[in-house]
Amino acid sequence: MKDTDKVSYPLYDSFKDKLKPKRSQAQIALSQVDIFSKLSWQEIKIVENAVHIRNYAPGEPIFKQGDPGSGMYIIIEGCVGIFLDIPHQAPKQLSKLGASDFFGEIALLDASPRTAAATAIENSTIIGFYRPDLMDILKTKPALGAKILIALSEVLAVRLRGTNVELVKLERKLESLMTAEDHE
Amino acid sequence: MSNSDPVQIAPQSLRLFHQSLFKTLVYFFLLILVLAGAYKAIPLVIDALFLIVIAAIMTAVFNPTVDRMESSGIRRSYGTMLVFGGIFTVVGMGIVKGIPALLNEVGRIKDVIQQNAATDSLDSIMTDINLKIAQYVPGFQLDPDLISSMSAQFFGQLGSILAGALDTVATIMFILIITMFFLIDGKRMTKSLIGMVPNQYFEMSLNITYKTKKQLTNFLKGQLLAALGVAIQSIIGLNLLNWIFDANISGVVLIGSIAGMANMIPFIGPFMGMVPAIIVSLFNNLGDPVAATNFYYIIHIIVMFLIVQLIDNNVISPIVVSGSMEMHPLTVILLILIGSQIGVLGMFLAVPAWGISKVIIQEVYQGLKGHHLI
Repeated sequence: MKDTDKVSYPLYDSFKDKLKPKRSQAQIALSQVDIFSKLSWQEIKIVENAVHIRNYAPGEPIFKQGDPGSGMYIIIEGCVGIFLDIPHQAPKQLSKLGASDFFGEIALLDASPRTAAATAIENSTIIGFYRPDLMDILKTKPALGAKILIALSEVLAVRLRGTNVELVKLERKLESLMTAEDHE
Repeated sequence: MSNSDPVQIAPQSLRLFHQSLFKTLVYFFLLILVLAGAYKAIPLVIDALFLIVIAAIMTAVFNPTVDRMESSGIRRSYGTMLVFGGIFTVVGMGIVKGIPALLNEVGRIKDVIQQNAATDSLDSIMTDINLKIAQYVPGFQLDPDLISSMSAQFFGQLGSILAGALDTVATIMFILIITMFFLIDGKRMTKSLIGMVPNQYFEMSLNITYKTKKQLTNFLKGQLLAALGVAIQSIIGLNLLNWIFDANISGVVLIGSIAGMANMIPFIGPFMGMVPAIIVSLFNNLGDPVAATNFYYIIHIIVMFLIVQLIDNNVISPIVVSGSMEMHPLTVILLILIGSQIGVLGMFLAVPAWGISKVIIQEVYQGLKGHHLI
């Protein structure tokens, strides 16, 4: 049977629409982030209650380089630039992030200073998930907190593996360059 | 007609001047109204703030228990109800069983003091004490009316505290209701309040709030545990003195509780805790001919409290009290002097209040410094 041949039942359809769970923009954005992607909608709702939704104007800093890191950010809508401050030079843009992208997740585990600055490029709505929020979840919902921590560890492990591969490549390149130099 | 025409400009600027004058006057009257309202409202606001601060302190004390219940799957609201059920049970049992016994004991001691004051027994005690002191420190004499004046003052204040406590049942109920709301919805309230902070200071404010809350909870938990420790040790110690040396100290639970509470005041508190025990034993042993000639039971009490302090300072406090509360003795004396302007309660609250303010100031300063704002 073709789709067009389907009989519509207005009463049933409206009832089905009403029963369909309504997801907020924040919930959808959270579900698309690796760290929260394995959580159930109920758990995502708990995370949503813990996070902070902030609005930034174009050019407004989200955090500055050197600020103590205190959490991660998830972009619901808008655009954010990651900049590296170089002394006596204009800040160098490292990347441009859009909706559903996230940044600063290492700060959830470590309070060391931010290595780069984040600035809103256009009007942006951003979710802030900070260490105190994670600690609070760990204290009141330990099972959910553990799930988030495991997912965060997985993200960091994947990144570490990638860095190791890059390091090995660079070492090999360096070795070959040194051998070539010795031959010369 | 051009704008530069002086005939036209003059009335326009006059109208503008009138408009701005009218606006200024309106703002001025509004400001006076606001100031007058604020002046009238300040006492009300201070009263409300006092209730909120006490409720916040109580929330900091009970929040870890509610959090623990929530982590084991009990809903936050049910956890709060359970905690309040526990509080009401303990307080209710205390009122039903403890208050009549406590009032009896206070009344009995007061009667003993009044009777002995009337029969000049106090004078004979002071003469004996002064004779003993003269053996060791020649020329040093205590004021003969010292005990009677001190005890009258002490029991007078104790009576007023009890009477005041009974009068403020409604206030206590208000505080409990606010605490209940803070425990159930405190996180949402804090989130809404922090949500109002501008983006520039948001991360910093969140960190400061979190750290201050954590430090405050640790500080209060530590203080209460240390006080409880001292109270229990004092009760055991006083019972041991009664049992081994027949020290004849009555109202042991009351004296132990006072010693526990007084322990929250550094340096001076432990001595304040000793005083009621010494006074009670002194008056309970008035008719005893052996006790009248030597005062070893007072030395026993002092030694017992010193042992309690030794255990508290070296075992309990290092474990339960946060190290951030180090204070200079002079600061403590000044704080107690300032607190004494409000009364006995002020003396008790001055040091913990300063401790809490110190934690908040430290966290705000470190937060501002960390974010390069100062």
